[in-house]
Amino acid sequence: MREIIMTAVERKQAALSEYESKRVVESAGVVVSGNRLATSRDEAVQMAATSGYPVALKGCSPALTHKTEMGMVKLKLKTPEGVAEAYDEITSKGVGLDGVIVQEWVEGDNREFVIGMTRDPQFGPCVMFGLGGIFTEALKDVSFRVAPLTEIDAMEMIDEIRTQKLLGEFRGSSPVDRKKLAEAIVGIGNLSSEYDEIAEIDINPLVIEKGNPVAVDALVILKK
Amino acid sequence: MNLHSLFCPRSIAIVGASDTLFKWGAYIMSNILDGGFTGKVYPVSVSKSIVFGRETYKSVRDIEDKVDLVFITTPARTVMAVLEDCRDSGVTNVVMVTSGFSETGEDGSRMEKEVERFAIENGMYIVGPNTMGIVNTHCSLYATGSIVRPVPGGISIVAQSGNLGNQIMEWAEQEKIGIAKFVGSGNEGVLKVEDYLEYFMDDEDTSVVLMYIEGIDDGKRFMDVASRVTAKKPVIALKAGRTQSGSQAAQSHTGAMSGSHVIFESVMKQTGIVIARTPSELLSLSAAFDSFPVPADNRVGIITLGGGWGVVTADECEERDLSIPPLPDDVMEKLDKRLPPFWSKANPVDLVGQPDIVLFEESIEYMAASDSFDAIITLGMVGSKQFALRAAEAAMNLGNLSKAEYQKFKDNLDQYQMDFLDKIILITEKYGKPILPVSLAKTDYDEMVHQLKGSKYKLVIYGSPEEAVLCLQKMYHYSRYLAKRRN
Repeated sequence: MREIIMTAVERKQAALSEYESKRVVESAGVVVSGNRLATSRDEAVQMAATSGYPVALKGCSPALTHKTEMGMVKLKLKTPEGVAEAYDEITSKGVGLDGVIVQEWVEGDNREFVIGMTRDPQFGPCVMFGLGGIFTEALKDVSFRVAPLTEIDAMEMIDEIRTQKLLGEFRGSSPVDRKKLAEAIVGIGNLSSEYDEIAEIDINPLVIEKGNPVAVDALVILKK
Repeated sequence: MNLHSLFCPRSIAIVGASDTLFKWGAYIMSNILDGGFTGKVYPVSVSKSIVFGRETYKSVRDIEDKVDLVFITTPARTVMAVLEDCRDSGVTNVVMVTSGFSETGEDGSRMEKEVERFAIENGMYIVGPNTMGIVNTHCSLYATGSIVRPVPGGISIVAQSGNLGNQIMEWAEQEKIGIAKFVGSGNEGVLKVEDYLEYFMDDEDTSVVLMYIEGIDDGKRFMDVASRVTAKKPVIALKAGRTQSGSQAAQSHTGAMSGSHVIFESVMKQTGIVIARTPSELLSLSAAFDSFPVPADNRVGIITLGGGWGVVTADECEERDLSIPPLPDDVMEKLDKRLPPFWSKANPVDLVGQPDIVLFEESIEYMAASDSFDAIITLGMVGSKQFALRAAEAAMNLGNLSKAEYQKFKDNLDQYQMDFLDKIILITEKYGKPILPVSLAKTDYDEMVHQLKGSKYKLVIYGSPEEAVLCLQKMYHYSRYLAKRRN
């Protein structure tokens, strides 16, 4: 992980690409959805076959911040032809890319959470957990703790959010595995304590697949 | 860092001592003398030869005895010379009341840095500058600019605003809530809020720490000290600046949702500090923690003089993480034998308007003895005398009761209430569970804290159910915080 972060710092990147970000948070103990980077159409098709359909394709570059708005995200592709076509479309936008992420489709259960990190001038790295998805900032149902934090701290963060019901059995979905959630939170705390180069992190959304938290998007912002 | 000789000095010098009213040198000097400090007090003044009947010294150097603590009230430009005198006389503790330092701008900040450097080089402990002063009730040391003299007790206060600290002590004095020590930390040029907090951790006179915080310098040290202190004794804090939004430019969603106050509240949760939202809540919570035991868990038994109040209290409990379990069979049976057939037969236990002291005492004891409850809230027995008194007063006004008879009646009622409260303290002791009485009608002459000689516990008499429930909730959270970290 050190290599990814240090290379990005040397290249004066403001942030890591989605592919890099996911590898970094994965190393910290967060389960991420299948994260492969294709640099040719054939490679993309082959990767999709390996991971199994459906898949999602996303243009990947550290400079890319509004992927969806730029038409760089293609969801739920079910065939090799679909993958090939999506690959061509994404790479034809005239934007310099590291490659195209081929990601197995995660069938979440509509529950979306967020794990994040920000640095406080007084207390240093602070980890956030809460309700994710597009309403995160509107509802502000989040809790914070200063890193490094213990598993007890992480459990208390989870207990603190108002929408507790979403963590239990919800509309036929199994309860969220709080221990795994806590491990991910603790991991992000340790990562932030270890790497001063990281300024902020957003893992949003963190979806729930059969009770297990899985990150389908991640953003690691570096210090200026 | 041992601040014992600072808070418990045997001899004090006041530089800038004066008897000109409304000067700081006069406030501090007169407060110390009139407050009954039993150690030696040496006034130091270059302009006056006698202050409050005592001969002055021209300099700290001229005092032959050892001086444990020096108050400096002379202008900012003079303090470095005074500090040098202190050093030369072997003084290590200074309370710098003088203002005109970092609170005034760049020049002041520079002078404050100079004071800090001097203190570090010479191993001196300095409170302030720009401090309201200190108090240690257990040695009758009242050395603040405003005269407030709360009774001795277990709550120690560190306030980053002297005025707010004074206000809290004034309330404490009025309500007879016991205070151990007070320090207005002022500009914290040398000693920081963390230093006082750490000192209170091992101070035997301190059972609860009350903090008013506006900002801190060293976040990591604050967290380290706070979590060690809360493992030993409760810390209740009010952090000002709730509405101030985070000013840092954030690039992530996470950053946009943080902000200094959100983080500070999280820090308090992470370190087990009990969060108060207002100054009155700060004192009320501190009094609760200082008076009775924390609940082992969150199950509350309610005993009420009337149904409505029980329901309201149960609602408050449920909304504040406390649970209202059903009455267990054994308690049900015991109560059933004592109560009229139409009683509630449920928790809350409604004593259906019978202000019968024995009945209340027995019901409280049945509930406290049961393994089903961790805390008891009892509503309405306390204060019910007020209504009997008003009826007697009406009878007296109409000529049916003599003034002497009325007075006797009143004295009896007051005594019954005292006896009842004593009994509740004994039940608290016997079962180690908190019991919170809520008064039906609290009047100005009623006490807020009830004490029983020889007991380690006290009772706080609450004016409303919501105040009692809030205190119980915060105590439960603290107890839960500790329990999780003990396993």
